[in-house]
Amino acid sequence: MLEARRTRPVLIALLIVAIALITIDFRDGGTSGAHSVGGRLFGPVEHLTDDVTGWFGGGSSAEVSALQQENDQLRAQLAQAQVNSQNLSQLAGLRQLTGADRYKIVPASVIAAGGGYSDTVTISAGSSDGITANETVLNGDGLVGTVIATSPTTATVQLANDANATVGIRMASSGQIGALTGAADSFGGTAALKLTLFSATATLKPGQELVTFGSVGGRPYVPGIPVGTVTTVTTEPGSLTPTALVKPFVDFTGLGVLGVVIST
Amino acid sequence: MNSRQVIKPFDHGPSAPRQTLVAAALPVALFAAVIVQLTVVNRLPLPGGDAPDLVLLLVAAVAVTTTTMIATVTGFAGGLALDIAPPVSHYAGEYALVFCLVGYLATRVMGAISAASGGAERDPSICLAVVAVAAAAGEAGKAGLGLLLSDPNVTGPAIRHVLPGAILYDLLLTPVVYWLVALVAGLARPESERAPAPVFFGAQRLASVFRLASAGAAPNLRLAGTGAKFEDKRPVRREPKLRLADARSNSLARTNPAGTNSAQPLVAGGRAAKLNFARSGITHHAQSSGPARPRRTPKLNFAVGLPTITPRPRRGPGKGWLDVGRSKPPTVRRAKPGKGWLDDGRRKPPTVRRAKPGKGWLDDGRRKPPTVRRAKPGRGWLDVGRRKPPTMRRAKPGKGWLDEGRRRPPTAKRAKPGKGWLRPARPPRANWYSTGPTTGWIHRSRAKNRWRTRRRSLSGSLLSTVRDLLPTGGRR
Repeated sequence: MLEARRTRPVLIALLIVAIALITIDFRDGGTSGAHSVGGRLFGPVEHLTDDVTGWFGGGSSAEVSALQQENDQLRAQLAQAQVNSQNLSQLAGLRQLTGADRYKIVPASVIAAGGGYSDTVTISAGSSDGITANETVLNGDGLVGTVIATSPTTATVQLANDANATVGIRMASSGQIGALTGAADSFGGTAALKLTLFSATATLKPGQELVTFGSVGGRPYVPGIPVGTVTTVTTEPGSLTPTALVKPFVDFTGLGVLGVVIST
Repeated sequence: MNSRQVIKPFDHGPSAPRQTLVAAALPVALFAAVIVQLTVVNRLPLPGGDAPDLVLLLVAAVAVTTTTMIATVTGFAGGLALDIAPPVSHYAGEYALVFCLVGYLATRVMGAISAASGGAERDPSICLAVVAVAAAAGEAGKAGLGLLLSDPNVTGPAIRHVLPGAILYDLLLTPVVYWLVALVAGLARPESERAPAPVFFGAQRLASVFRLASAGAAPNLRLAGTGAKFEDKRPVRREPKLRLADARSNSLARTNPAGTNSAQPLVAGGRAAKLNFARSGITHHAQSSGPARPRRTPKLNFAVGLPTITPRPRRGPGKGWLDVGRSKPPTVRRAKPGKGWLDDGRRKPPTVRRAKPGKGWLDDGRRKPPTVRRAKPGRGWLDVGRRKPPTMRRAKPGKGWLDEGRRRPPTAKRAKPGKGWLRPARPPRANWYSTGPTTGWIHRSRAKNRWRTRRRSLSGSLLSTVRDLLPTGGRR
C-alpha cells in the first residue's frame, strides 16, 4: 500500500514521458531521434547476436554471400536491360534518370525483425556503409522494400508488403502504370499486395507480371525490379479503376541476404 | 504484512553478493529478452506467423514476484527498448506506455488478491493466472494503442489475424518465464522464507490420520508398536452432552444400537450440544466432563411413545419453554394426565373405552386451563395460564416485575449463546441492497424513490470497489 503510493508519481511521470515520445515520433513520422539513439545502442548488440546465432545455425559463408551479391547485381542489371530493350521509346525520358551503370549494390543480411503488426526488418549494413534512407532493397527474387531509417551499423527496411509502403509499378507486358500497397496482415498470412491501376481502360489478367516504375533519382524505388504476378482480379463491376491481388516474387518471411541499391 | 515481506525481494536476508547478483539479474534479463525477441523470436517461422512477446511476459512475471516500483520501471524500460531498437516498426513510446501500465496494474491486482486472501503465501497457480491475464491484456493494449494512433498496419483484419495467435504463444510461454523469474526472485528471499517443508515420519503421519478420523476425540494418542505418545496440543473443544430419554427410544436405537450410554449427539461444529430427553433424567455425555447443569438445558420432549414413565412434575413453564416446538405452553405435560393415555398418537379422548372419565380427560380435547378442576389455585397457577405478572399477589413488587410485564421474549434476555441452539438461526438479510450503513435506511428508501436510492447505492459500492482495487486497495 505504502509502496503503491510511492510508485504512483513514478508511474505518472513514466506515462507522461511515453506519451511525449509517441507525440514527437508521430509528428516526425516515425523518424524521431529516439530511433537513432536506439539504433546506436542496440545495433551492435544485434550484430553480435546475429553472428552468434549464425555461427550456431551454420549460416552463410563468405563465398555464398559473395555469390549472392553477384547474383543481386546481375539481377539488377538484367532488370535494367529488360526495361531498356522493351520500352525504349516509351521510357526515353525516364532513361535519363536511370542509367544502367549508376547502380551499386551493398550486400547486407537480415539480423532482426519487428514483431506484431509491422513488416520491417533490420539489416546488417548502416550509414557507415553508405546507406541512406529511401533506397531500394532487393534480393535475388525481386523487390524487397525500401530503407526507412539508418543507424551507423544497421538500417531498417520497410518491406513492400507493409501497409505503409506504396510502390509505383508498371505492367511488364502492357506498360500500364499503377500503385501497389501492402496488406496489413501480410507478414504472417497470405502475402497478397493490392494493385490499383491508374487507367480505367486497362485490362488485368491473372499471370501478368509487374516491375517497379521507378522514382526520381531512384528513390525510394529504382525502375525495372520485378515485383510479382497478378493472381486475382478483384475489379468491381462499377468501379472506376481495375484492381487485383498480386503475389510477390519475394518470400518476405524467409529473408536472408539482401542488396541495397545505393546511388553513386 | 506477511505477503509484503514475501513480495519484497531485496528487503533483508540474503547475503550481499547474492543481493547484487539478483539486483543485476533484472536489467540483464530485460536486455537479453529485448535482443532475443528482435533477433530470434520475431524471425522464427512459427505457424500462423505470430510470435510471443518475451519482454511482455518478463514484465508480467516480474510484476507478480516483485514490488510495484520495480515492475513499473521494468515495464517502461522494456517497452522503450523494444520501441527504439533498430527495426523501426512503430512509434517510439507505444510499448513503453503499455508495458508500464501492465507492470503497475499486475502488481496492484496481485496485491489485491493477496489482501483478499489474508496476506498468505501466494499461490503459484494464481500468480500464473495473473501473468497470463497480464500478457493477454498487454497484447490487447498494443493493438489498441496502434488503432488509436491510426497505424496503417494495425487494422481490424490485422488484429483479428495477429492477436489470437500472439496471445496463444504468450500463454504457452507463460509457465517457463514465470518459473525462471520466480527462481531468481526466490534466491533473493531470506533463508527463513525458503525453509523446506517439514518431513514427518510414518508414525506421525499415522497419528495425524487417526486424529483426523476421531474428530478430535483422542487428544492423547498412543500408537501400538511405536511407544510414542502423540498429544494434541490444540485447545480442547467443548464436548457435546446428550441427555437421553431411555433405552427404548427408536430413533436413538437406530442411530446407535450399542445402547443409550454411548449415544452421542451428532451436532455439526462440535458445539456443546446438551440434549435433555425430559423424562429420563439421565444426562448422556460424549465424554463426561463435569456435572451437567440441567437448569440451563433446553428441553426436548419426546413424550410420544413413552407410555409407562410417569412425567416429571413441573410447576410451570421453565425458562426455555419457548424454545421447544412452536412456543405453546406445555399444557399437555403439565396437566397431570393419568397413566400416560394421552400420549398415544391419535389423541382422541378415550371416552368410549373408559367407563368413568379420569381426572384429566378434559384437558385433552379442548385444552382448557385446568382452573375448573382445582378447588384452590396454587401459587403459580396464574403464571401458567395467562402469563400475567403476579402483581396482584405481591404485597410489594420486587425488582424485576416491570420487566416481566413488558413481555420480552426470553431469548432477548439471554447472554449465553449456547442456549438457543435448537432454533434455526435466522440468516441475516443478504440482499444486494443490504449494504447500507444501517438497517433503517431500507425503510427510508422505500418511503422515498427506492429505485433512485438503489442505483445510487449500487454505483457507490461499485465506486468504492474500484477505489479499493486501484489506488489504495493492495498491500503494496
